[in-house]
Amino acid sequence: MQDPITEELFRNAIVALGDEMALTIYRAAYSGVLKNIMDYSTAICDSQGRLVAQGLSLPGHICSIPVALQSCLRHFGADIHEGDVLTMNDPYDGGMHLPDIFVFRPVFADGKPIAWAATICHHTDVGGRVPGSNASDSTEIYAEGLRIPPLKLHDRGVPNETLLRMIDRNVRLPARVMGDLRAQLAACEIAARGLADLLARHGAAGLRALMDATMAHSERLARHCLSELPDGEATFTDWIDDDQIDAGVPIKLVCTVRKQGEHMSFDWTGSSPQVKGAINNTWSYTAAASFTAAKSVLSVNMPNNDGVFRCIDVTVPAGTVTNGVLPAACAARGLTGFRAADCAFGALALLYPDRVFAASDGGNTGITIGGYDEERRPYIYVDFLSAAWGARPWADGLDCNTTMFANMASFSIEVIEAENPLEILDYGMVPDTGGPGRFRGGMSLARTWRMLAHEGILQVRADRHTHRPYGLHGGGPGTPSRNALLGESELAAKLTMTLKRGQVFRHELPGAGGWGNPLDRSLDLVAKDLRDGLVTIEGAARDYGVVAGGDPPIIDHAATHALRTQLRAKRKPAPIVAWRPLHDDN
Amino acid sequence: MSLRIGIDIGGTFTDLVAIAPDGTVRTHKTASTPHDYSQGIATGLAALLTGEAVAEVLHATTVGSNTILEGKGARTALITTAGFRDVLEIRDLRMPRLYDMHWTKPPALVERRLRLEVSEKTRPDGSIAVPLDPASIAACIERIRAEGVQSVAICLLHSYANPAHERAVADALRAALPDVALSVSHEILPEIKEYPRTSTTVVNAYVQPVVRAYLTALSARLRALGITAPLHLMQSNGGLAAAGHAAAFPAHIVESGPAAGVVGAAALAARLQEDRLITFDMGGTTAKAGLVEDGHVLRTEAMEVGAGVMAGARLLVGAGYMLKLPAIDLAEVGAGGGSICRLDAAGAPKVGPHSAGADPGPVCYGRGGTEPTITDCNLVLGYLDPAGLAGGAVKLDREAALHAVTDHIAAPLGLPLEQAAHGMLRLAAATMMRAIRAVSVERGRDVRGFSLLAFGGNGPLFAAGIAAELGIRRVIVPPMPGLFSAFGLLLADTEHHATRSLRMRTADPAALQTALDALLQEGADRLAEDGFPPDRRSATRTARARYVGQSSELSVPLPDGDAPAILAALPEAFAAEHARTYGFRAPPGEPVELMGLSVIARGIPEHPRLPARIPPATATVPPCRRAWFEATGWTDTPVLARAGLATTPRQGPLIVQEYDATCLVPPGASAALDAFGNVRIELQ
Repeated sequence: MQDPITEELFRNAIVALGDEMALTIYRAAYSGVLKNIMDYSTAICDSQGRLVAQGLSLPGHICSIPVALQSCLRHFGADIHEGDVLTMNDPYDGGMHLPDIFVFRPVFADGKPIAWAATICHHTDVGGRVPGSNASDSTEIYAEGLRIPPLKLHDRGVPNETLLRMIDRNVRLPARVMGDLRAQLAACEIAARGLADLLARHGAAGLRALMDATMAHSERLARHCLSELPDGEATFTDWIDDDQIDAGVPIKLVCTVRKQGEHMSFDWTGSSPQVKGAINNTWSYTAAASFTAAKSVLSVNMPNNDGVFRCIDVTVPAGTVTNGVLPAACAARGLTGFRAADCAFGALALLYPDRVFAASDGGNTGITIGGYDEERRPYIYVDFLSAAWGARPWADGLDCNTTMFANMASFSIEVIEAENPLEILDYGMVPDTGGPGRFRGGMSLARTWRMLAHEGILQVRADRHTHRPYGLHGGGPGTPSRNALLGESELAAKLTMTLKRGQVFRHELPGAGGWGNPLDRSLDLVAKDLRDGLVTIEGAARDYGVVAGGDPPIIDHAATHALRTQLRAKRKPAPIVAWRPLHDDN
Repeated sequence: MSLRIGIDIGGTFTDLVAIAPDGTVRTHKTASTPHDYSQGIATGLAALLTGEAVAEVLHATTVGSNTILEGKGARTALITTAGFRDVLEIRDLRMPRLYDMHWTKPPALVERRLRLEVSEKTRPDGSIAVPLDPASIAACIERIRAEGVQSVAICLLHSYANPAHERAVADALRAALPDVALSVSHEILPEIKEYPRTSTTVVNAYVQPVVRAYLTALSARLRALGITAPLHLMQSNGGLAAAGHAAAFPAHIVESGPAAGVVGAAALAARLQEDRLITFDMGGTTAKAGLVEDGHVLRTEAMEVGAGVMAGARLLVGAGYMLKLPAIDLAEVGAGGGSICRLDAAGAPKVGPHSAGADPGPVCYGRGGTEPTITDCNLVLGYLDPAGLAGGAVKLDREAALHAVTDHIAAPLGLPLEQAAHGMLRLAAATMMRAIRAVSVERGRDVRGFSLLAFGGNGPLFAAGIAAELGIRRVIVPPMPGLFSAFGLLLADTEHHATRSLRMRTADPAALQTALDALLQEGADRLAEDGFPPDRRSATRTARARYVGQSSELSVPLPDGDAPAILAALPEAFAAEHARTYGFRAPPGEPVELMGLSVIARGIPEHPRLPARIPPATATVPPCRRAWFEATGWTDTPVLARAGLATTPRQGPLIVQEYDATCLVPPGASAALDAFGNVRIELQ
């Protein structure tokens, strides 16, 4: 056993190494998806593929690396040598969806791997039927792009030219994909150097013991946090509107959380069978949603490693939308991950009402517009919009903030316009969209695009159109999402269509859910929302029982008191979980 | 004999350093006066001066950053393109902390009601898609007047490509509202990306009336003391700017304090012929590291004000207010003398990020602190004088520190007291090493080839230990390490930084030449305003470039020559920098895209600014005390004043005790005084 100071120094060093890897990819990557959206992760694993440290990046990747690495270890067994680099992306062999390509590099001691540098990046395009490889309306994985089983990217230091040429010929933007693969290799190189230093300092036995101690410390921390929560069990059901193939058929997600002593479990039994559309999760993505919810409730400082996984079980029945099997399509499974997070948060909110927010905006909306310009040069605009947090038991939900499950940044409007044949007409908050409550849900954000090229393919993966972000404990739900061709027609939440020159497409994200009785909302907060134009005078009366007028709007206290008294008398007992607007029932 | 005076305002103290032409240095430390910082300066100057003439006053101030941190800026409005008033609040959506349901965004500096829109739209190529509607400007003016707005930021989409609409809006406002301060985005940051440009312009507008009032008050106090010498402000980029320029563009002086120390380090590095230097500035709550290579300081293109210290890595942003302006690149971590040592819920030892600050301060200050801090550990191990800090002005209670470290750390960990205290110092050092790695290893530099320049009240105490861990062989502790930022001001040059977006996917020599000439002319004009004749001006030209398809840029020195020569040499210059920073370059023939240009116009001073020698400080110090080292245990350790060192190296262990800092030379290291007056520590 090492002394506690050495152990803590090692923990600092190994976590710093994971972050240095992440920084390397951030700086060296080609694609905006990696840099702006941080849709990548880095990690250090031990020889068994157990997660020792993960770099700062995407919560949705928490569990993915050990699953994928352990699949590679099963495939190659003893056939792993110095200078090897492994890669894979197959969702049905440990991966998540095809754009997520893993790169693993072993570090050797005494002729055997002692640790692994691991990276996963969402690549701009891996081929398949649509630019960006993320259509939500594919019905088999075979339409989604290049499927890479566990393979050697480098074999004893020699690049696998066969594989590289196969990738090069099967993706739409090979320079970008190859550039991002180089960034992954650079991050592995940084990790290999750092691990070599640690190996020189501590020796092989010392390094193994310190990796074990790092995981054991996290396990103790997780057990301590879990033991402080009351025991209990709760089941929550949430919905995805549909899968775009079977339009209008809702898809059910069911999460049962059990907490007992120093242990917590998430059980997804009862969720819908896998669907035809490309939104089927793999196990690791549903597990990541479960862990994200658990970590947000336990402690923000919980490390990301195997020690925490030991205290939290995740059961996901195979063949369901939460854990698809071949040949399920899964490219757009991001949606199901977001909904799984909403569902896991919902179950935790039932168990621990004072610790958990109402539903956020439902996860991001994926928008891709791509095609060829007049000179037949390809362009692909891939964007993910998100907006707002659900109201918290102690404060309003955040406006204009990324979702908890994916710390994504937005692109610059000016850069989008400079690089694509698109004009953006507006981008901002929409009044009266945050779920009313004692604490208000975050506001919807909307954006409008005009097509400037002769045509392009527009794909939208939105949701929360028929099943709104739920409110909690008397709070109302947020507003539904909206897609429209302005001046022409309203559109479905998920779509693939041709956009012609001059056509104007608008997307409004859902508003987030409210928390607590809106008639109890402080007049100061309502006054601020009125002044900011986030709640209209009509909305204030309808949702909050507040009477106001003028510009800037001033609250009439006497009239407000009278209206609130009248509405309180009429108000039916609110459900714990509200899916429909509160005034519908009045 | 006229003096040059450097004044650095910190949260607790205002430091003043005056230097005479013969190199004689005078220093004074006085309490800062946050209600009106100029008052503390006046008090300090009155104590420092005895009727001498003053040649110039150089100043670093936190007034800009404090205005933002405390939310005490002007009532500010923002005018944007119709449809985009929420850009300021949307930011880039990202949050700095994961899994934190308690996260609260910093509130926008302009409330939504004062985010106004004009009907217009410029295209990315500068052509006009929607003409500017005068009626919408009139409506903005009406609202600004009705709401009593003091300062206005104007930021329209694509104004970097064509500023005509921004100019027209500014002209209309100037005519209608002559008393309202204006900040116009294309004048402050003519670069693509609307959020950084809007945020930078808004920060400028928000602090401008406050900074202007402060500088007016300070000038009046200087005149009252009979000082009519020019006043120059340190900018975040490390260059000096005349007070008038700083008042118009205060966004440039927001992080002026930390910059001064690095500028001083760069000047010293040139004198000492140290090509590769890492600066290490450790105070009571944080430690900062910077990089000086070949006399140049490492700069960054953007920073966040009020974001606190870097959260592990600088990947997670959004905690503060974005300023996309060149600034000296400093990595900051939450480890200082006041950092608290604790065990976490699973029994693992942690140092920081909580700090006991100045109040209550460490346990040994006897002001009510109960949890042991880094300063307590230093006292326990005998590194600090139990008689007190600052010549005994701050008394230290060693017994209290012993108990705190024993009860909170040593006993629960089952370690001997000394090992526990030493372990805490090693953990603090590990945190500080992350800052040093951030500016070196993470940028492709091998830290072992660098020297470490240590300053700040706590820097000299930790420097040798950190250097040993990192494989650094030489530590330099400059004179007046605790007032080094104020000293650094005296060594800075007048600088004007200007940048332009270019976005040249295809080589267009004419466009490049036009942009470059405009930037050079702008710098020359500003230096002329400052009174620098043509023979005392220099310009440094930098390009920002990337491989086509990459989304981040690297800065590379612009190859010499005219535009065609630059374009011919750029791909190789870029590839070399890419290899140095990331460890790889793309295959030959991969196209390189020029994204922007920067020019630093520098005024060359008439006389050298650095004296030949700073006479070493003398002080009465106890001859010896017991100190604990890992290698030797409790050891009788000589204590010296700086003047007690000689040019011949003396073997550690040693403690060099000064009024403003204590320098530790551990066993195995040696220390000597160099010709300039620095303590040089050599490690084996």
